[in-house]
Amino acid sequence: MSTQGDFSRQSFLGADSEDRLARLRVVIAGLGGGGSHVAQQLAHVGVGEIRLLDPDCIDPSNLNRLIGATQEDVKAARPKVLIAQRTIHGIRPWIKVAAEQKKWQEAAHLIQDAHVVIGCLDGFQQRDYLEGAARRYLLPYIDVGMEVTKIAEGAFAVSGQMIMTRPGGPCLQCLGFITPERLAQEENRYGDAGINPQVVWTNGTLASLAVGALIRLVTPWFPTQELYTWLEFDGNAQTVSPSEQPRYRLIPETCPHRGGRDGLGDPFFALTSPSLE
Amino acid sequence: MKTLFRATADFMAHVRRDLERPHAFAHERVGFIAVRATTGREHLVLLAERYHPVADEDYIRDDTVGALIGQEALRKALEVALLQSVGMFHVHAHFHPGKLWFSLTDLREQARFVPDFFSVRESMPHGALVLNHTDAAGRVWLSRTGISTIDEFDTIGAKVEVARGPSGPGTDFYV
Repeated sequence: MSTQGDFSRQSFLGADSEDRLARLRVVIAGLGGGGSHVAQQLAHVGVGEIRLLDPDCIDPSNLNRLIGATQEDVKAARPKVLIAQRTIHGIRPWIKVAAEQKKWQEAAHLIQDAHVVIGCLDGFQQRDYLEGAARRYLLPYIDVGMEVTKIAEGAFAVSGQMIMTRPGGPCLQCLGFITPERLAQEENRYGDAGINPQVVWTNGTLASLAVGALIRLVTPWFPTQELYTWLEFDGNAQTVSPSEQPRYRLIPETCPHRGGRDGLGDPFFALTSPSLE
Repeated sequence: MKTLFRATADFMAHVRRDLERPHAFAHERVGFIAVRATTGREHLVLLAERYHPVADEDYIRDDTVGALIGQEALRKALEVALLQSVGMFHVHAHFHPGKLWFSLTDLREQARFVPDFFSVRESMPHGALVLNHTDAAGRVWLSRTGISTIDEFDTIGAKVEVARGPSGPGTDFYV
């Protein structure tokens, strides 16, 4: 991978950080408010290959937060992945982009030989599935999400999280972020999604934390042995802090939710598969 | 399609530690890595699942080579491939300095035993790896005679390490 551009302002990341980033293949699942920010930042830092997955086209309500989107895109009902692709190539045309206007489950081949998966999805079930896929292919998973909760009449709490998990460490279920209660609650609300409030500045904050987690994973800049990172964002107080929640749980030494027999790779893999030709 | 070998950092550290253990008479140690596989956009992905060290008693005394393993070691590895539906990669280490690649003896021996794995598990790739303290190199068999160099090695831990595999310098003669 040959990069073009002056990366001197981020040379503190490490002598070979430019090459490390240029060799990297990163998947972004969900190109809405969070994912569009992530895509833009990955282009700025010089990630060599960015793979974009989202089945949706932009609608007028997305324009309050979708980075790179224009009124013209709304008029054309342009796919979100193409808007992100245009944003990336506008910053660094040499970046290899694979954009598929599909649910991530329908384009798993983009995940399997990537290096890091960033999930910017709605819903606990989808996060659980995507993290499960990342584990199946031995990949770190970075999750971002925000929530606006009505706490009293006319009063709202804005919150969010950025969680990085990796093979060998606890998963989102081990950490207590995904719980059976949350999955059940979500299932009971199915079909009654209502309006999911999202705003650009919190999306941007959380996306920046996700990109920070990625940079810590792939460059020598910040020596760490962390098995996971869970940062909580309080949008009302405008603060970010490590989550206290894992401290109140017994986190198993070996994740019981992922892996096991047939927990890795494609269970139906065969060398005769047409995709190998 | 290129080939990528991926393992966790803990897994690779475990394998290296085992291969560094002294043996009563063999000059180096040998093991097998069981892999699962999948096909990504541009790569066949080999996923390290479990390490199977060769048992102490399955080495044969031979001072002309670093390590010689007996039929029992191969039988056990073949059994794992058969019963667990995995690909098997012979692994040993060259901890000495210099370009990391197989010796001519390694290449000659691999050509003899790796194709046997296709007799018991034809649907999976098999092969051979050589490690030093930091890097890895390897070859993958996609059939009894279809051999290529592993193009990329990913190690996933607190850091994600993506390394290009070195290519073999004129070794096809021994394939």
